[in-house]
Amino acid sequence: MTEPALVLNGATKRFGAFTAVDQLSFQVPAGSIIGFLGPNGAGKSTSLRMALGIMTPDEGSVSLFGAHPDLSALRRVGFLPEERGLYKKMTARQTVAYFARLKGLSARDANRRADELLESTGLGEFARAKISKLSKGMAQKVQILSTLAHTPDFLILDEPFSGLDPVNQQALEEIIREQHAAGATILFSTHVMEHAERLCQSIVMMARGRKVFDGTLDAAFDALGRRAKIAVEAGYDLPTALATTGFHVERDSHEHEDGADWWLVSLPDGRSAQNALRAAIDAGAPIAGFMQEEARLRDVFVELVEREEARGKLAPQPELETL
Amino acid sequence: MFRSIYLVARRDYLGYVTAWGFWLGLLITPVLLGVGMMVPALAASSVPVRYFTVVDAQGDFHAALVQEMADRRERIARNVVDGAGMLLGDDADRGAALERFDAAIEAGESPAAAMEIAAPHLPDLQLPEQDFVLVDPPAQTLDDLRPYLVGERFLETESGPRPLFAALLVSEEGVEYWSENVTVDGIKSLARRAASDMARNEVFGAAGVSIGILDEIEAATPGLVEKRLREEAGSDSEVTLADRAPFIVSIAMSFFLWTLIFSVVNYLLMGTIEERSNKIFDTLLTSVKLPHMLAGKLIAVLAVSLTLMSVWTLGGMGVTALGISAMPGELRELVGAMAAAALDPGILIPALISFLLGYLMYGSIFLALGSLCDTIQEAQTLMTPLLILLMVPLFVAIVAMTDPESPVLSVLSWVPLFTPFLMILRMPTEPPLWEVLAQLGLMVAFTVAILWLAARIYRAGAVHGAGVNDAMGYLKRTVSFGRA
Repeated sequence: MTEPALVLNGATKRFGAFTAVDQLSFQVPAGSIIGFLGPNGAGKSTSLRMALGIMTPDEGSVSLFGAHPDLSALRRVGFLPEERGLYKKMTARQTVAYFARLKGLSARDANRRADELLESTGLGEFARAKISKLSKGMAQKVQILSTLAHTPDFLILDEPFSGLDPVNQQALEEIIREQHAAGATILFSTHVMEHAERLCQSIVMMARGRKVFDGTLDAAFDALGRRAKIAVEAGYDLPTALATTGFHVERDSHEHEDGADWWLVSLPDGRSAQNALRAAIDAGAPIAGFMQEEARLRDVFVELVEREEARGKLAPQPELETL
Repeated sequence: MFRSIYLVARRDYLGYVTAWGFWLGLLITPVLLGVGMMVPALAASSVPVRYFTVVDAQGDFHAALVQEMADRRERIARNVVDGAGMLLGDDADRGAALERFDAAIEAGESPAAAMEIAAPHLPDLQLPEQDFVLVDPPAQTLDDLRPYLVGERFLETESGPRPLFAALLVSEEGVEYWSENVTVDGIKSLARRAASDMARNEVFGAAGVSIGILDEIEAATPGLVEKRLREEAGSDSEVTLADRAPFIVSIAMSFFLWTLIFSVVNYLLMGTIEERSNKIFDTLLTSVKLPHMLAGKLIAVLAVSLTLMSVWTLGGMGVTALGISAMPGELRELVGAMAAAALDPGILIPALISFLLGYLMYGSIFLALGSLCDTIQEAQTLMTPLLILLMVPLFVAIVAMTDPESPVLSVLSWVPLFTPFLMILRMPTEPPLWEVLAQLGLMVAFTVAILWLAARIYRAGAVHGAGVNDAMGYLKRTVSFGRA
């Protein structure tokens, strides 16, 4: 069996009294593409920095290609940090080649690879331009190329889409797919769930330093369950009306409409959204609207966080300090 | 390990030396140094001619002043002949030229004419223009002189209308000096000497002794020959330039090291601030270990300083080599003595060790400070107290110029932050070997401690994003813990 590219086992990181990452465990199987999801401040970057050996966990362990994340293991890794920056006085070519050399390539190979990558991404004519002279988008592209220059087996990308315009986001998604197709393992963090929906096979979700989900996308949607949305005249008690029909009904706090209340109706196995609507009509409910819910990853995330909160497994949301 | 250190050092080094600012500094520093050395001469030559007058009803003081000014011109002319002889001839020529000058003055020649007679082979030798010119009083009372002194009226001179710089009013009570300028002392000095000569003449005359007896006393005064004990039996014990050269060289080296260290450690500060503000640390830290990164950065800037030193040293040696054949004997001797002192292992080895350890000490401090700062302004808040502290060795070096065995120097040289600069100053006095070794050992231990602490601070800044306020908070907690 192929060894996982990354294993975090009970990894915990504290900064004084604040626990940034709490007992985090998950694996990144070789050849997989995994989204590491969570809102800002969830502990994603700290977890990735532990995975890369930049920070040492206070508890638990990290294993990269079956070993401690030292430089020999890190040579197989390409890392794109969330906070990006390059040496402004170096040229694009020097930058890509420099980071490739730091990862072990010879000077000749590093320069050749830099030329190849810059040409293939349309930056060939800017190869000898200083980073300070490039646009922000081009500089970000150079940084991404620096991450890829040594042909890593494992790409760790921390919020790779942030700061990119839609065209460049699309281009980056293509690069990620190409690298994955070429055999690279990919772990990327994001707080924008749509990227993960398009790219990932599996996801790890974090909130307030703790893992709230770890599994395939399908399993994530299954966790949410199939639901229908029914709107009735304001004040009508739909849960009582459907109490004997076998449908579980709860208030939809996300939908608001004047004169109507929206309800989420969970669909048990073998019963459809249409069955739920029929049951409501039969019960005499004054129907004002109906929709079959199309589940999104962010809904899954919200649901999972609420469940974890209900179980008391998540620390309360810290309040903003009053200035 | 060495590869990553090399790559970091290479990148940083090339980053520094390919910047135009580096080349500007490389070329402009010797130029500025040369200009700095010429400033006193330029300032002296640019002093305007100043006109002054004497109101003396009796005329005795006026006559004494005229005589004093003539004597002064004579002394200046003799010094010019002596200086030219020193630079352009050997001792015999120099002595003969002075004898010719003295004989010409004795024969009643003017100082300028005596110069021509003394050095006929140097027709360009010029007697400097007089900086003070005595003119007839345009008025006899202070009230009438006032408009001239405050610049409302001007004197008519050969060079056109000129202001009256000062007036000396002689009365029975003494001599009053009036001028709007309170800093220039030349005329006051002339007046004092003239008054002193006048008084001496009177007192000697009243005692029936000729004033010429003073010259006889001077001629009869035995010369003082400075000597020192030598280890080599039979060697000449007279103190020469070679004896003084180590002191001069050690002071020059100490200043040089101070300047060099503080010009290059700024590179570390700026480079680290740039990396922090460019958010580049995380990318680097997945390719290079933090201690290797630190080592690479320190080596890069050390290489920059060695480049500067090599270029300046080779340039200096080249200029000296080109000019040495044309140098007169004494100047050649001076250069030789300085070079020998600079290459003396007793000074050179401690100087090199001091430079290396001093660089590592201050380099790592600046590197650590840079890792805590996002902007130059932030760095300045941390740097200011450090820079004030580092002025101490400069002040002590000034003490060493007059007294290299000063207890201040020997005590402060035990402070590791100052040792790199002060130990060199002490080397010509040949301090006990145990003291030198102990100070070196202390400096090594302190440097290691500083490197350890700097690595921790650098890690806090680079990895955890700690800033100036965090460092201050840590310091406060440490201090309050110490108090508890």
